[in-house]
Amino acid sequence: MRAIDRDIACCPVCHELVKIKRGNKEYCPRCGTVVHLRKPGSLTVSLALVIASIILYIPANLYPMMHVQTFAGTESDTIISGIIYFFESGSYLIAFVILIASIVVPFIKMVIILYLIYSVYKGKAEDKEHKLRLYVLTEIIGKWSMVDVYVVAIMIALVHFGALTQIKAGAGAIFFLGVVILTMLSAMSFDSRLIWDMKGKE
Amino acid sequence: MKTHRHLCCHACDELVTIKLPEKEGRYRCPTCGHTLFKNYKNSIEKSYAISIASLILFIVANYFPILTFSVIGQNSTATFMTAIEYLYRDGDYIMAIAVLMTTIVVPFTFILFAMIVFGMLYHGKIYPIIIPMLRIIEDLRPWGMLDVFLIGVLVSVVKLVKMGTIHFGISFWAFVSLVPLMAYAHMILDPHKVWEIIEDAGMCLYQKEHK
Repeated sequence: MRAIDRDIACCPVCHELVKIKRGNKEYCPRCGTVVHLRKPGSLTVSLALVIASIILYIPANLYPMMHVQTFAGTESDTIISGIIYFFESGSYLIAFVILIASIVVPFIKMVIILYLIYSVYKGKAEDKEHKLRLYVLTEIIGKWSMVDVYVVAIMIALVHFGALTQIKAGAGAIFFLGVVILTMLSAMSFDSRLIWDMKGKE
Repeated sequence: MKTHRHLCCHACDELVTIKLPEKEGRYRCPTCGHTLFKNYKNSIEKSYAISIASLILFIVANYFPILTFSVIGQNSTATFMTAIEYLYRDGDYIMAIAVLMTTIVVPFTFILFAMIVFGMLYHGKIYPIIIPMLRIIEDLRPWGMLDVFLIGVLVSVVKLVKMGTIHFGISFWAFVSLVPLMAYAHMILDPHKVWEIIEDAGMCLYQKEHK
């Protein structure tokens, strides 16, 4: 028995069950939060955000993440050139970590969210548990792409020896920050219960 | 209400009824396997203790330097705020604000509010302010990224250790202890129990509607 069949919604904050009519909004009696049967406009908002994040993903990779200014000149590193540098200098573990966190993870997130949106839009009812697990995975790995942004921030904080060596943030870092935030918001606005709303072959 | 607990799975919207008293452990939704709630002994007490410890560690971590980097006789130290200051000075306001929010403002608010909320629950003195506080905690939860910051620090260390000498400050160890502590607190926390205590204390904002 599903809550939606009985016109019951679950408060997202305090998990109280609230009787609700379709299309209306109610306030939770326990905590006062607005309660909806399903997140309003979930597919639309989620799709808009993931498309925006894909658009930002391109400059995030093309523009440099940081500029290393020495007396010998300025060296600019993009995400990919940073990974190549680590591979060539033998730090395979770090290269791997950055590859996963900055390229693979955001890419997987976008693909999964797009897949889920498409699947719900087309009303496909197969593999519900599998899709739910993908959604939970997306939510968990969401914030880990911030690693690159923090690395840039810390490098800037530590390497500030005036004219000798200095590090400044590049445009790529800001675009990348945008990608992380937008994919997080996109996953948050997708209502996973929609996966289970699809009627069809189990 | 006291003989059974009625729940709705957040993932698949299935209505589940649990017979009280609950056994200890983790309850999963029968349809989709998503965690419904967790019941652990003394979770309120433990959460209270952890939030106090976290607050102390957090203040320590912010006050002292995390890392010191020396190369050819030049020294530089960094605290949490150093990165944000430099980003701000270089004109990268967006990044400065993002780092400030996710590593300082959000985690601090989270820990402080958690301490107040669990303090109220533990001592039995519940005030109406507990409700907006719990709401803010829930809303802010995904935006606290201290654990990601720790990995960022470690990656930076590996990058810089080739160029010079790195020395770990007190703040680093406070930070290393704080992150698993917060993860553990998240693991044992069950919002259902908390909200039920609040309800029993009569702190509901609106009239209770019939189910």
